Amino acid sequence: MSKPADLMQGTLDLLLLKILALEPQHGWAIGQRLKQVSDDDLQVSDGSLYPALHKLELAGWIKAEWKNSELGRRAKYYELTHAGRRRLEHETAHWRRVSAAITRVLQLKEA
Amino acid sequence: MDWRRFVDVLSARTRAFFRRQTADAEAHDEIAFHLAMQTHANIRSGMAPADAERAARRDLGNSTRINEELHEMTTLPLVETPWQDLRYAFRMLKKSPGFAAAAVLTLALGIGANTAIFSVLNAVILRPLAYPRPEQVMKITTTYPGVDEFWVSPPEYLEFRQWTRSFASVGAYNNGEANIAAPNRPLRVRLMAVSDNLLTTMGVNAELGRAWFQGNEATPNGAKVVVLSHELWQSAFALDPTLVGRSIEIDGVSRTVIGVMPRGFDVADQRVQIWQPMVIPPNPNRGSHNLFMIGRLTDGATLESARAEMDTLLATWRSRAFGVSTPATSQLHSPDEKHRLRIDPLQTRIVSNATTAVWVLQGAVVLVLLIACANLSTLLLSRAESRRKEFAVRSALGAGRRRLLGQAIVEGCLLSTMGAVAGIGIAFVGLRAMVAAYPDSLPLASSVSIDLTVLAFTAGAALLTGLVFGIVPLLHLSPDLSATALKDSAARGATRRHALRRGLVAAEVAFAVALVVGAGLLLRTVNNLSGVDAGFNRAHLVTFGISLPLVKYPAIPDRRTFYRRLTEHLSATPGIVKVALASGLPPYRVVDSNTVTIEGFEGRENGAWNTIDYYQIASADYVETMGIPVIEGRNFAPSDADGDAPVAMVNQTMARAIWPGQSPIGRRLRRCCNPTAQWVTVVGVLGDVKQGGVDRKTGTELYFSADRTTLPTLNVVIRTGLDSKALGGTIQRLVRDLDPSLPVIRLQDMDEVFATAIGRPRLIAQLLTIFGALALLLAGIGTYGVLSYMVSERRKEIGIRMALGATRPSVLRMVVSQGLQITGAGLAVGVLLTLAIGRLLTSLLFGVGASDPVTIAAVVALIGAVALVACYFPGYMATRVDPMIALREE
Repeated sequence: MSKPADLMQGTLDLLLLKILALEPQHGWAIGQRLKQVSDDDLQVSDGSLYPALHKLELAGWIKAEWKNSELGRRAKYYELTHAGRRRLEHETAHWRRVSAAITRVLQLKEA
Repeated sequence: MDWRRFVDVLSARTRAFFRRQTADAEAHDEIAFHLAMQTHANIRSGMAPADAERAARRDLGNSTRINEELHEMTTLPLVETPWQDLRYAFRMLKKSPGFAAAAVLTLALGIGANTAIFSVLNAVILRPLAYPRPEQVMKITTTYPGVDEFWVSPPEYLEFRQWTRSFASVGAYNNGEANIAAPNRPLRVRLMAVSDNLLTTMGVNAELGRAWFQGNEATPNGAKVVVLSHELWQSAFALDPTLVGRSIEIDGVSRTVIGVMPRGFDVADQRVQIWQPMVIPPNPNRGSHNLFMIGRLTDGATLESARAEMDTLLATWRSRAFGVSTPATSQLHSPDEKHRLRIDPLQTRIVSNATTAVWVLQGAVVLVLLIACANLSTLLLSRAESRRKEFAVRSALGAGRRRLLGQAIVEGCLLSTMGAVAGIGIAFVGLRAMVAAYPDSLPLASSVSIDLTVLAFTAGAALLTGLVFGIVPLLHLSPDLSATALKDSAARGATRRHALRRGLVAAEVAFAVALVVGAGLLLRTVNNLSGVDAGFNRAHLVTFGISLPLVKYPAIPDRRTFYRRLTEHLSATPGIVKVALASGLPPYRVVDSNTVTIEGFEGRENGAWNTIDYYQIASADYVETMGIPVIEGRNFAPSDADGDAPVAMVNQTMARAIWPGQSPIGRRLRRCCNPTAQWVTVVGVLGDVKQGGVDRKTGTELYFSADRTTLPTLNVVIRTGLDSKALGGTIQRLVRDLDPSLPVIRLQDMDEVFATAIGRPRLIAQLLTIFGALALLLAGIGTYGVLSYMVSERRKEIGIRMALGATRPSVLRMVVSQGLQITGAGLAVGVLLTLAIGRLLTSLLFGVGASDPVTIAAVVALIGAVALVACYFPGYMATRVDPMIALREE
């Protein structure tokens, strides 16, 4: 069984920002969304999800609010801040540049 | 990260830090919610409820760990970690109170000395004078060859004031003293006669009333007014607010108080108590140089531009002042190439030669602090050795190197902060004692204080000290700390550590040499100054001054009567041997430079001129009372007081300068520039007196008879077996009986006055002796400590040596010679250091060179002896090593 690829450093932040750009969500839902979208190719352990979210919160990219959830319990909902939105644009552009570059390198033909 | 983001993040973190308890609870809730959701989802996908929850927990991982991780994020590492380190450091110090006490005491002395001296440096050199725009305030004097600071004459002042464009205003002043009638008793006060605009030139307004003169107040027959200092207003008039507008009697003249200056105000650090208008007569004398000028530069002008303008002015001064055709008069009578103006910042002139002294002291205390640091570094190094295991354990438990380094720095800073706090106390007490003992030995001494600048300096010094000796002991800790140290004795690669320790001790010794040599040179200077023959017998002389107001004693016979009666009454007092009168008293006399006409003498090019350094108006008993030898001819006789044949005496220096190789007896001279003045015949030659102080060269002295020319102000010189304290009451009473309005001025013992006159070298010598002793003590302790540590580390080796037959003397020799090697290196470096920096001391020394071989040799011997003692004890300990015990250890 091949292990799912480890996330490159910093990539998790990008993914979290992107998911939160779609709509505000609580932690569990964010984790579910990640698994669905990536077809389980990108595995983010629930254990590393929360520290990552808190880090983004402390950095001011996202902010949180306690709201009633579908279970009727209060849950911590995260949403993107203005700074976070700009951050996401910047990171997305950066990712595109890097992945394009890597792709170009990988397309080189052996002589 | 731009700064706004930085602030955002920092504030987010700080907020998180302060709401940590809530944050922890929230994080807990968040994780709990996650588990609930996952369990719910698991159940929906068909799991049994118990399995569903377990699976959820498994997926999440260690929830405590996560909570902890989230908690860590809300902490401020820069605050939290040092706080932990600090508590840990406190606990470590409490465990070794002896070490802590020694370290704090050493630092308190080192930092305290630095704080104290820096307070002086701050007050004297760094802090600008307390005037608005103090950098614009310049002192303007004149110079001529051989004299750096000479006065300005009134016409020169008026011309400069009118012609200069660099100065917004130029004021003038001269100093004097006056009797004032305070409510309860007569006082002698320091007076400054000032031009109409001097106080406003300083830019300071009166605290009460006004500080400028108006109307006819500065004219010869105008209204008589005076401005008081706050200090005099306080001490003599009890801060009476109604004083302004009232009159007080000054030298018998009633003057209206028009203002009181604010507390601490002074013009040129002369502690002036009253200011009164300087009256310049309509046709002032160009030859009478008696003023100093103070100018305030215009906003655009600089010192350089003012000096450049001055050069231009000097080039055309004569033609502007006299018209082109006027022939040159005496060279002193107008600015020209020889008699020049000189412009300097006022602060520079006030501080003048004290700068070197203060910097030397500051350098000395920095050396003391360096020695203290080196000493503590060796102590901490030894502690670091014994704490290697502790460090290794902490390292193995996950403390990063950074954390260990941080811990060391925090420990260092804790010690240095405690030292600094104690040091500020020491500095405070020390400064008070110093200013009390030497109020006049340093300029601006009254403004020396521990202010914010000083505290900032102390904090900086403490921090730097803490960093230095916190880090130095770690320098030798190897990167693979944990691996080697846990195995302990296997890793005794001691060479590097020992080299560091030896180097530190050698450095201590070297600095101590420099300090002790400095102290030695200053002690010799004081000794030389005290040993200078002042030209008279200064033991058992009591002196005081009397100043008769001219309005009350206008004519010579009035004054003569007063002084004759005072002298008679004093002579009749038991315990008084002889009483005399004189116009000037050594050692504080300022050169008079009075011009005399000498029969058959026109002055020599580049040689003696007919200006005499010191006039002395003395009574016939003066020579005998003072104990001045009569070299040739005779002393004044009572019969000289009257009659048509006035006589004079000269000192040897004047005899040699004016009549080299000839006898002055019978020569005639008279006061300058007055063809009708009576000729005076020289009847005697006296020994030289150090009128200007023991460190000045002897000047030319010319004595006139006080019995003939009785000046209003004279000094009374008393030869007595008693001192001024014992005689004080009697003298006060006798003067009061004659005239109750007269204050007794400066009742003093001559030898005490001479001691005070060399106060500055004495002060520097005492301070350097204290610092040198401290340095010596620390260096001795350092040597002892390092050697003892080396002995204890080498017990095994020494044991083996002794087991193999080494004798106790040979072991002793081995240890002592090792110690002396370190000291020897330190001594050698110290001597080189002393030779290199000794020149800085030259201007502070008298009669001894900065690289005086005798002093250096004595210091080397002294420090060598101290080192020998410091080495002997560890050596003795080494001989007590029992081979059997040493070999079985470990």
